[in-house]
Amino acid sequence: MLNYVARRLFYVPLSILIVLGAAFVVLRTTGNPIDIFLDPNHTPEQAKALSARLHLDQPIPVQFAIYLRDVLRGDFGESLQFGGPAMPAVLGRLGATLELLAAALAVALVLGIAGGVACAVWRDRVPDFVISTLAIAAQSMPSFWLGILLIQIFAVDLRWLPTSGRGDLAHLILPATTLAAFVLPNFVLITRTSMLEVMGEPFVVTGRAKGLSAATLVFAHVFPNALNPILSFLGVQVGRLVAGSIVTETIFSWPGIGRLLIGSIFQRDVPVVLAGVVVVSLFIVLANLAVDLLLSVNDPRIRLG
Amino acid sequence: MTHAQSFPAPAGSSWARPSAARRSLLAGLLACAVPFALPAGPAWAAETTLTVAAATFPDSLQTGISTFTSTSLLMQTYDPLVARTNKGDYVPALAESWEPTGPDAWRFHLRRGVKFHDGSDFTAEDVKFTLDRIIDPKTAYGFAGRISQVSGVTILDPYTVEVRTKGTFPILPKAVADMPMESKRYYEKDGAEAARRHPLGTGPFVYGNWIAGDRYELTANKQYWGGAPKVDRLLIRQVPEAATRVAALLSGEAQIVEELPIDVLDQIKASRVAAVASTPTTVGLVLTFDPRKPPFDNPKVREALDLAIDKDLILKEILKGQGEVLDGQLLTRATFGHDPAIRARPYDPKRAKELLQEAKYDFKTPIAITTQSGKYVSDVDICNAVAGMFGEVGLNASVNVLEGGVFLKQWNAKEMGPLYMIGWYSLGDADFATVWYTEAGKRTTWVDAEYEKLFSEARATNDSALREKDYGRMMQILHQQTPSIFLFGLPSLYGVSSKISGFEAASDKILRLKDVAVR
Repeated sequence: MLNYVARRLFYVPLSILIVLGAAFVVLRTTGNPIDIFLDPNHTPEQAKALSARLHLDQPIPVQFAIYLRDVLRGDFGESLQFGGPAMPAVLGRLGATLELLAAALAVALVLGIAGGVACAVWRDRVPDFVISTLAIAAQSMPSFWLGILLIQIFAVDLRWLPTSGRGDLAHLILPATTLAAFVLPNFVLITRTSMLEVMGEPFVVTGRAKGLSAATLVFAHVFPNALNPILSFLGVQVGRLVAGSIVTETIFSWPGIGRLLIGSIFQRDVPVVLAGVVVVSLFIVLANLAVDLLLSVNDPRIRLG
Repeated sequence: MTHAQSFPAPAGSSWARPSAARRSLLAGLLACAVPFALPAGPAWAAETTLTVAAATFPDSLQTGISTFTSTSLLMQTYDPLVARTNKGDYVPALAESWEPTGPDAWRFHLRRGVKFHDGSDFTAEDVKFTLDRIIDPKTAYGFAGRISQVSGVTILDPYTVEVRTKGTFPILPKAVADMPMESKRYYEKDGAEAARRHPLGTGPFVYGNWIAGDRYELTANKQYWGGAPKVDRLLIRQVPEAATRVAALLSGEAQIVEELPIDVLDQIKASRVAAVASTPTTVGLVLTFDPRKPPFDNPKVREALDLAIDKDLILKEILKGQGEVLDGQLLTRATFGHDPAIRARPYDPKRAKELLQEAKYDFKTPIAITTQSGKYVSDVDICNAVAGMFGEVGLNASVNVLEGGVFLKQWNAKEMGPLYMIGWYSLGDADFATVWYTEAGKRTTWVDAEYEKLFSEARATNDSALREKDYGRMMQILHQQTPSIFLFGLPSLYGVSSKISGFEAASDKILRLKDVAVR
């Protein structure tokens, strides 16, 4: 298993390097940080000084080489907008993003699995029909619209929850729900399918014949066997959630990494964007690795290696 | 479906009873469902707090970022030498008075008894330090270009400084209005990093806490030289989404919201809990031609396109009557140098068609109108309306939306295509806006010798009457030659809770909150 983990991690720097190179070239060729940071009135001396500071007077491959050299020394560069090192600026926003992602995932998993199990148990009956319909409706609802709708109902009309911002638990509810709705329907549908498949297995029939109660069968026998496809799916969804969190963070003024990256891309603040790319890539890789480990724990027949 | 179900489970094996590992996994999943609580927000119960929802935040509180959003936050803790008012007038701040001393120097007499938030005195040393730092190219100070004519600063006594300039520089007092005066002592003692993280100025509010992308917390400076603020605490939150800002206002979370979207004005007015505060800005929104090549090298064709736009209709329908139609010139009505004798060309599609036919215009020529999205109020909507109106006189127009960085790159390379939309702010003085039609502005594709001469003359004299005459003539040249179609003076719109008093919309979008009281 350790061997497996080591091998998975070995390829991470390579993929991050490719992403960094692509991001670097696109950011450098589509805009000039000097035009954006300095007032249009800037003096030629200012442009020259800043150009030298950012190594913009060098060809792009040389700039990228300088960047990589600094990264290997642990220096992700200085952000123009933040007026300080880029990596702390990104890490400072990581907590907010993780909090939102964890809450949204928890909501999506718990409700999604509960819904999916209910659908499977009452297959082709009213609960299945209602939940499946809701899931499909939720899937076709843009998060942007859902977020605004939730704010209107729960913050403006009912005044139960704050409209936006990060703070106590109440601040987390609406953004987490909105982000969860982005992936929740998928969890319902995948749980339903997976449960139904296991429920058709001979051992379930045997269990029934032995006189096991429906509840014991579903929760002690069927669900653990149906869990792995859900977990695999979870790994895929982490990346989607990170992407979806940008919209949610914007609607709810959540000070997370998504908004930071979008803003930094607009500013062509290359050190911040690249530091963000590294952090987000690592997060997604680690999340998927964790899912793989969970799979083998849940089903000892899965050997990693 | 996957390996988990591939084989029938052997009887009596682990599936019959969940193994310990499996149980702990389930427990872990359940634990995820219990969301973790965070420490509650600051409890500011007995004191009054004013909450503002801002559309954009700078990434940091460092001085020298040349955006009004940055200046707006900085001016809570700092003061300039000369301040601008909400209406756009210039009034004494840290300088009590100023006058030119000879053709190439200005003298500023500083206010006495002003203290920085750490209790130290504000003196001429701080002014010299701040200005020297701004003009040093290594500082990369965004607004440095506004005072690039400054050659040096001399301290005459602790409360008098002389600023020397290369040649006569009439607008220096106005040009320093967005430059916060910083403490020399603080920089020398704690360094630039500290000054950026924890701004320390002489302003009406004192830095409390800053979370990038989220919130800026401040407390009132009870010893403020201009009188203590009427609230105890100030919280400025960034709320980028317009609909959320409106919700924050209607739910009572915020008392002032910036950049109110045009389409909710009626909703706010009908709400009873809030009102709209608006004022014209000094931003003139224009459509600029590339007159270097056909078809827009012909002034008659440019005039025809101007005649083809029903500006009153766009103002009424898209801008909902907020702002103004420019008077056929670059400058907004309240700006020094505006010529009231010039009027916008009336909407006349028939005459437009005739002019185009006289010029043997090829109606198939594609005209891409290049714009950014969300940079100015309703920018893309306005471009779409203009393209539609062009279509009605037979032109082949389309809208080309560019991301900001790409827009600036092409703009600096003077490759904006036949027609592009941009807003020029004047901050109340013609010099700041008219420079963009001169060679000195480095971006214009239209050049006129007389205009250049007048601009240089007006920039190099302290004689206001002469400056006004020169700018008036420059406005006439712009009107006649139509290097741009002059569209609208844009509005500055705020949503204001009925629970507060003393707030005024600012033409330069800088928050001035000292006199705002919360009921």
